[in-house]
Amino acid sequence: MRALSIASTGMLAQQTNVEVIANNLANMNTTGYKAQRAAFQDLLYQTIQAPGAQSSDTGTLLASGIQLGAGVKTAAIYRMTKNGDLKNTSSPYDMAVNGAGYFRIQMPDGTDSYTRDGNFQLSSSGQLVTQDGYTVQPGITIPQTATAVTVSTTGLVQVTLPSQTALQTVGQIELTRFPNDAGLKALGENLYAETSSSGSPQAGTPGSTGYGTIQQYYLETSNVDSVSEITSLISAQRAYEMNSKVISAVDTMMQETAKLGG
Amino acid sequence: MDNVSLLSLSYQLAARRSMDVIANNVANMNTPGYKRESVQFEQILQQLKPADGQSGSQSLSFVKDAGVFRDISAGHVEQTGAPFDLAINGSGYFAVQTAQGERYTRNGHFTLNADGTIVTEGGDQLMGDGGAITIAPDDGEISFGADGTISGKQGQLGKLRLVSFADERALTKEGESLYSTTQTANAATSVTVSQGMLESSNVSPVLEISRMIEVMRSYEATTSLDKAHADMARQADQKLATYQ
Repeated sequence: MRALSIASTGMLAQQTNVEVIANNLANMNTTGYKAQRAAFQDLLYQTIQAPGAQSSDTGTLLASGIQLGAGVKTAAIYRMTKNGDLKNTSSPYDMAVNGAGYFRIQMPDGTDSYTRDGNFQLSSSGQLVTQDGYTVQPGITIPQTATAVTVSTTGLVQVTLPSQTALQTVGQIELTRFPNDAGLKALGENLYAETSSSGSPQAGTPGSTGYGTIQQYYLETSNVDSVSEITSLISAQRAYEMNSKVISAVDTMMQETAKLGG
Repeated sequence: MDNVSLLSLSYQLAARRSMDVIANNVANMNTPGYKRESVQFEQILQQLKPADGQSGSQSLSFVKDAGVFRDISAGHVEQTGAPFDLAINGSGYFAVQTAQGERYTRNGHFTLNADGTIVTEGGDQLMGDGGAITIAPDDGEISFGADGTISGKQGQLGKLRLVSFADERALTKEGESLYSTTQTANAATSVTVSQGMLESSNVSPVLEISRMIEVMRSYEATTSLDKAHADMARQADQKLATYQ
């Protein structure tokens, strides 16, 4: 019976839904994490009687026809690109992007990746790196003798050196934006990569038109809303149960049929 | 086969089809913009010649599924917060340009493609009054007005093409939440658009489960009727055999 396979598509879809919700909840406290949502669509229809087909020679039409669906499919798992809240921290290398834009990070294999996680550190050579040791691009080296580091909202990095009154500029933080943020591929470790769906990266100075500003001593929290995740979880769980009820009902019907002629 | 078996067979086929439709409703419980469907039955009468010793006309009534009826009532609106999730209040549809021509949908989940054009998850362009709508990165946050006006930082970008039909129930389902039709699409009046919202399906779990139980039980009843009839026939054969 078709109903069996239809209900199984429903169960599979709800399983995906629960997995997405679980991942959101697990990353509730991950810096710069963007909540995801599963988007569903109905599957193909088999048309047995086309709606609007002629039902007699006098031109009367079938009002609704018969179209049998084949279930549901997960069309996409999309990312909510809304900004998370900014949280104050005490490290001078913590930076949050207030608005649009990603930090550009160089991966060990030389390719570029992008992140909203501005939880940076210094490497042994004084370079600004991510928690995994990947260099922030363009590279910024903080002299070892520096006593204080200031990052302006426009991304200018200046240091205070002993026995110098004037601040010395050591670099400029750049932001990258994409025509379609949601099309970036998540690489894990809070990193994203460019895809043909995200469009090509466009670099710019923080604070210029269309780019966010840099907030030093702040980190962007995840944008997961725990209340809405929990309500989605309940609804997904119930939907899963309903689909399994359909399967057991179909099973009962098939058993009845099998008893016939016995 | 005799008439009892044929009659119960006609119902069993119809019951199976109802079950398929119920299963599809339940599977699409969380599909945005999905409209629940139910099977409508009709009876087909067959006139019989009166048997010996009986008078008056006798007829058999077979059951057949006449159509799948779509409930076009609105589903409740759920907040998602995504900028390209749109819900239509009132009877209207979004127009989407596909390779096969213009299609219509109530599933208001859209996204951008690499060029910044608003598309469905299948990559089909959402239609505005002047064709596809493209957003430049400089437009910043995009907002949709209640009348479907799209605006960004640099001013108005277009207006959504919202359409309505004379007979909504006659739209043909194409899957992927799309409908096609040969009817003329009129500009929808008295509809509003809400941004950051999705219209959920109008499937009511209680209704589907109770319908499911009803179909299952009547299917069982028909099967046992069939079985009882078969037993009766067997007993009659045995009785007749003893008189030989």
